[in-house]
Amino acid sequence: MTTLHELAERLIAKGEGPREPTREPVNTTMIRHWTQAMGDRNPRYQGLDAVAPPAMLQVWTMDRESPSRGPLDDMLDALTAAGYTGVVATNCEHTYARYLTPGEELTYATRMTELTGPKRTALGEGYFLTWLTTWYAKDEPVGEMTFRLLKFRPREESSPTGKRKPYPLKPAVNRDTAFFWEGASSGELRIQTCGDCGELRHPPGPICPSCRSTERSYVRAAGVGEIYSYVVHHNPPVPGHDTPFVVAVVEIPEGVRIVGNVVDCEPSQVGIGMRVKVTYRRMDDELILPMWAPLES
Amino acid sequence: MRTLEMEVGTVLPELVVPLTPTLIISTALATRDFTPVHHDPEQARAQGSRDIFLNILTTMGLVERFVTDWAGPEALIRGINVKLGVPAYAGDTLTFSGTVAAREDDEYTIEVRGTVSLGAHATGTVRLSL
Amino acid sequence: MSTAVAGIGATEFSKDSGRSELRLAAEAVLSALTDAGLTPSDVDGLVTFTQDANDEIALARELGIGELTFFSRVPYGGGAACGTVAHAAMAVATGAASVVVCYRAFNERSGRRFGQPNPHLGGDPSSLGLEMSWHVPYGLMTPASWVAMFARRYMHAYGATSEDFGRVAVAMRRHAATNPAAWFYRRPITLADHQSSKWIVEPLHLLDCCQESDGAVALVVTSAERARDLPAPPAVITAAAQGSGPDQMMMTSYYRDDMTGLPEMNTVGRRLWEISGLRPSDIQAAILYDHFTPFVLTQLEELGFCAPGEAKDFIADGGIELDGHLPVNPHGGQLGEAYIHGMNGITEAVRQLRGTAANQLPGPANILVTAGTGVPTSGLILSRA
Repeated sequence: MTTLHELAERLIAKGEGPREPTREPVNTTMIRHWTQAMGDRNPRYQGLDAVAPPAMLQVWTMDRESPSRGPLDDMLDALTAAGYTGVVATNCEHTYARYLTPGEELTYATRMTELTGPKRTALGEGYFLTWLTTWYAKDEPVGEMTFRLLKFRPREESSPTGKRKPYPLKPAVNRDTAFFWEGASSGELRIQTCGDCGELRHPPGPICPSCRSTERSYVRAAGVGEIYSYVVHHNPPVPGHDTPFVVAVVEIPEGVRIVGNVVDCEPSQVGIGMRVKVTYRRMDDELILPMWAPLES
Repeated sequence: MRTLEMEVGTVLPELVVPLTPTLIISTALATRDFTPVHHDPEQARAQGSRDIFLNILTTMGLVERFVTDWAGPEALIRGINVKLGVPAYAGDTLTFSGTVAAREDDEYTIEVRGTVSLGAHATGTVRLSL
Repeated sequence: MSTAVAGIGATEFSKDSGRSELRLAAEAVLSALTDAGLTPSDVDGLVTFTQDANDEIALARELGIGELTFFSRVPYGGGAACGTVAHAAMAVATGAASVVVCYRAFNERSGRRFGQPNPHLGGDPSSLGLEMSWHVPYGLMTPASWVAMFARRYMHAYGATSEDFGRVAVAMRRHAATNPAAWFYRRPITLADHQSSKWIVEPLHLLDCCQESDGAVALVVTSAERARDLPAPPAVITAAAQGSGPDQMMMTSYYRDDMTGLPEMNTVGRRLWEISGLRPSDIQAAILYDHFTPFVLTQLEELGFCAPGEAKDFIADGGIELDGHLPVNPHGGQLGEAYIHGMNGITEAVRQLRGTAANQLPGPANILVTAGTGVPTSGLILSRA
């Protein structure tokens, strides 16, 4: 399998693509549309000896019927296929060798210059893709543009389709632990008990460590508890969680401890001994996690 | 000859651009950018945006206008380097501020910041010579 | 049969070795063999960590070792460090091998970094994956966060503060500042630096966490009798032990009655005292595993250097510095020298016994060394011949 970086290396090595022609020369009509829409009254762009506003550089090659697929399309497609479906432009840099005058015929060519990532960003994990386009009058380079965009994997809260993105931190579930997760899905906090000696146990397992019985059952906990210890996670970023977030060891009156997030309050309000009650959070279409919120007095 | 003060530290007069739907749509079309999110509010909202918003080519054009409005027609723009931030939606106001950050002979670097109600829309530099 | 560490070797400690992990392993082993006055053809046993990416046979191929009659691996991350020496000593004592090399090599900074979250930790239906599945879904998935949970309870129970943890970091960085092999050579810190460093996982600041390093360390273990005829002064393995406690988990043993101690280290300590016949007062220096500062306090308590809850007083006023009641990690530990999963602490103990350490203590006779904390672990007492 080709990695994104291997593909990028190959596309970058291709260098500058073929020179594409523009449909029409630099012209006063387009200049006039531009200055009027922008509200730009610079006299340099008007009259018989008008020049084109330098920032129009890219306008001369904006064309809806894009002539051919380039290396950038391959890179963008590969990023989308890898799940980086979001896109946002991050940087645009123009350099002008000289001003352009009406009548000049331009060509342009693009090369991919860099792919960096994956990086964590505010929008989600993503790759930064950079390319360089150069505009030519005959063989003279008259201006260039470096453009960078971020292709990112959108953080899932609610997508327009209504289908949630899978939560990245799924528990492993097997026949010894499934009862707990099924309980969470139906709003029950289930604690394993031994079918023979009755001892409660969490986390659960296949055999009772006290009497070695394999008869297992569970009780439904009342769903309240007290914080026995806790941490506030700041760094590094953790998938599926915004920092800072609180994780606590909660002691429940049934007699066992259980770990979970403390939600619905500021981290600074959390302390050892704090009374909490269970709350169930849907993480994706399959997983519901029991968490803990302050118990109002 | 102009007598404009142009030294490091000089603050440019603000440029306030009301982002009317007309401005957003007419600049999008004048830059030949027919992407629906720049002229069709329904499409823009369907893609998760609040409203139609300014396209990047227009941001570059307005940054240029902000600097040449102040520097005058003698100024030759050599380059514009912009870091793109929050979207500039219809109904918002885009306010440009700037400072002369550096000078080397007759070449000046102007630091530019365009902000909307959500925060920085474009920050960067414009290089010009006289 | 009495056994000894007859040679030590290491690569430089860096943030980017620029070499493969196998090459680092080979370099460290060669340097340890040279130190011991032996050659690869003398080696018949190899021991490393289960986490090490370099197979014994790959290393044997690189070095032209030829036949091996003993190879074994020790699990549980840094808890393996002293365990490798314990396995080697047992192999030599039983005749399974005559010269066993223990090694650990990684690019832990430039390659896979243990402090970064790994979303797959909890997804695997192995016993470890199932254990992790009670924690990872809540974002409790980095070593710092696992340790922080214990540290918070310890603070609550004994009134220890973040400054008490900070004093450990300050002492380690002070030691490293005069150790040219340390990454933080000539870069001491103050308690104020510790307090103002960013939060990693409250109650742990950045400077409560050890550094991340690239590098490798190797140790040659053979019989004490053979070691006496070799050029380097031997460090006799007076005691070696591994330990795990009741209701032990990899690093989240939060379901025991008490969360303020390290029962597995208590097991190791008890075994070390039983085997050696020594007491804490017979120890002149300790190499205590310091991936995170709070467990240095806990270890002092579990090993009997002070009573439970009293470590904060024990370490006050420079108690674990070079002229304190118990010098701890004269090389600067993993907070100051390098993070080579505890193996660089064992080589420091050997140097102190030989009299060749950068921060040499006055003629120590017995040094206690520990391995990873919060995990099933191991320990050693090494002595001057």
